[in-house]
Amino acid sequence: MFQLHDIQQMLHNQGYITDKSVAMSVFLSLQLNKPLLIEGPAGVGKTEIAKVMANALKTDLIRLQCYEGLDAAHALYEWNYQRQLLHLKMTEHDTHTIDEKERTIFSEPFLMKRPLLQAITHSQKPVLLIDEIDRSDEEFESFLLEVLSDWQITIPETGTIRATYIPQVILTGNRTRELSEALRRRCLYLYIDYPDFDKEWLIVKNKVPGIDAILSEQITRFMQELRKMKLEKTPGLAETIDWAMALSALHIDHLDKTIIEQTLGVVLKDWQDTRQVQLSIDELLAKTGVHTKIG
Amino acid sequence: MTNRLTSLPQNIVQFCRYLRQHGFTVGIEEETMILQSLQQFDYTSAESFFLLLKMIICRSKSNLDDFDEHFRQYWKRLDKQLDAKTKATAKKKQPAPQAQFASLSAWLKGNQKKETEETASYSIRESLSQKDFSAVPDNEVAELMKCIRSLARRLAAKANRRYEGTNRINLPDLRQTLRKNLRRGGELIDIMHRRPKRNRVKLLMLCDVSKSMELYSAFLLQFMYAFQQVYQRMETFTFSTALQRLTPMLQQKHFGEALEWLSAGNEGWNSGTRIGESLHAFVNDYSHKLIDSKTIVIICSDGWDTGNIDLLKQSMRQIHTKAKKVIWLNPLAGYTAWRPEVAGMKAAMPFVDVFAGVYNIDSLRKLSKWI
Repeated sequence: MFQLHDIQQMLHNQGYITDKSVAMSVFLSLQLNKPLLIEGPAGVGKTEIAKVMANALKTDLIRLQCYEGLDAAHALYEWNYQRQLLHLKMTEHDTHTIDEKERTIFSEPFLMKRPLLQAITHSQKPVLLIDEIDRSDEEFESFLLEVLSDWQITIPETGTIRATYIPQVILTGNRTRELSEALRRRCLYLYIDYPDFDKEWLIVKNKVPGIDAILSEQITRFMQELRKMKLEKTPGLAETIDWAMALSALHIDHLDKTIIEQTLGVVLKDWQDTRQVQLSIDELLAKTGVHTKIG
Repeated sequence: MTNRLTSLPQNIVQFCRYLRQHGFTVGIEEETMILQSLQQFDYTSAESFFLLLKMIICRSKSNLDDFDEHFRQYWKRLDKQLDAKTKATAKKKQPAPQAQFASLSAWLKGNQKKETEETASYSIRESLSQKDFSAVPDNEVAELMKCIRSLARRLAAKANRRYEGTNRINLPDLRQTLRKNLRRGGELIDIMHRRPKRNRVKLLMLCDVSKSMELYSAFLLQFMYAFQQVYQRMETFTFSTALQRLTPMLQQKHFGEALEWLSAGNEGWNSGTRIGESLHAFVNDYSHKLIDSKTIVIICSDGWDTGNIDLLKQSMRQIHTKAKKVIWLNPLAGYTAWRPEVAGMKAAMPFVDVFAGVYNIDSLRKLSKWI
């Protein structure tokens, strides 16, 4: 049985810095055995939670990446058709009856397990990450609902497979599409927003251990200001960490205009954004209060 | 009689009912979950108790945003009730409660209305995607534009990938299969399937930018712009008193500049409408090149016309015969009372295959059904 502070400790030990609401959600999701739906902008560590959970529970992470057009076959299983054919060819001159042959080729070695079936038949309770669920079609969402509630999958040739352990499910979404009420009701809901200054600074210091104190503070302040601008693609926490790592690796100890201009590509991924920011670097720097302080 | 409940479970159930009244979907399931997890949980700290309720009850971002306030109000009120009970004589008269307090007091005093009646009294916060374009406050325009952009890209990507409808998608292609497997001595290892034909639909959009469409045209143009970036086989025109081809400008990826140019340099922007003349010009100058049997023509206009109605009718007929489909999008069609009574609209109706409203994001989303 988990306790709330254990969860907090567990997340912390895995290097995941967070607030109480995240810990509470993870705790409840484990406690009540409910899927956890996490929404929020890109790059704030939604997927990371699943990885941290798998690590902390010392179990495997099975990931299903959703995309438009994803169908049940790609999520569940497929028969390895070529292998079946080759097998039949090789055993052509055997004396097995057709029934026996059929039983062989429709057995486990010929089954290609896709993430959902993998999760269900796993030898221990896995963490199942269903990433970017809002990108999949509505048909797939309803199909998923069925699997998430029954935890069994029927394969016509072999029969029904029941889950050995019910996986710990994490769903993530970017709110590109409204998810159905039915799916929402089946999950616990967590919204992760961009971190505030203190939290982000702490994360940067934690993730990039050797970083200069002044640099890390300046980077964080700059990113906080950057997010206030109206950009096509607002940079997330992942970009902050990338940037901090890059600058730290270059042995830079403070930000200035040239450095920012040269490394802006790490943070901004849209050329219009880049142009917009380049034009207002001075203004941003002034707001950030970046001066070369000594000490 | 004050319906003050002393046990925690009762209070939680009542709190859930209170939330339900305020647009939350909290069912028995959630109530059970709360009580269940409270059993195994050390909830001595007020904060974790609050978080526990919040995390179980909230199901969306707007829920999360509203929850804190509701929670505060409810328990604060409950505390007051408690105080009032202990020192009953302290206050004779409470100050007039605010609307929200009033409903809350009604709750706590136990004279609850039936739930069916109550549902009408609250309004779930109208989400951005349901807001009429003409009623969007300035501070939400940017966000709305962003929504439109992402929606347009999605729709366009979908339209791009669509295959022509056929019911023999998964049929094996025997000839291809034999050919492919010949080098393995004719053993059928790989089966080739018939590939459905790619959808080669062309889109042609004609957008009214006259004064009467002012509130909508900026959003519609944004939509077209974003759509065009993903969907190449598309042509865009604007019209008011005269016709204007917009495709080259939209392809240059400078929406802001295109919009500026339109409103500054183009005489027709925000003026009167002469649909008939504009369509006629279109038919004369472009239709032979741009419209064929695979083209879907989309016209965005409210049908208010100050020009020649006969010309409109004639041009619509010509477009209709040549095109695969004609879709007329009318921002006013969102209002239930609206009928196509305007002369221009009436004249065009016989030649329109799909008539629909575009007035908010949800209605734009429905476009994917027809393209």
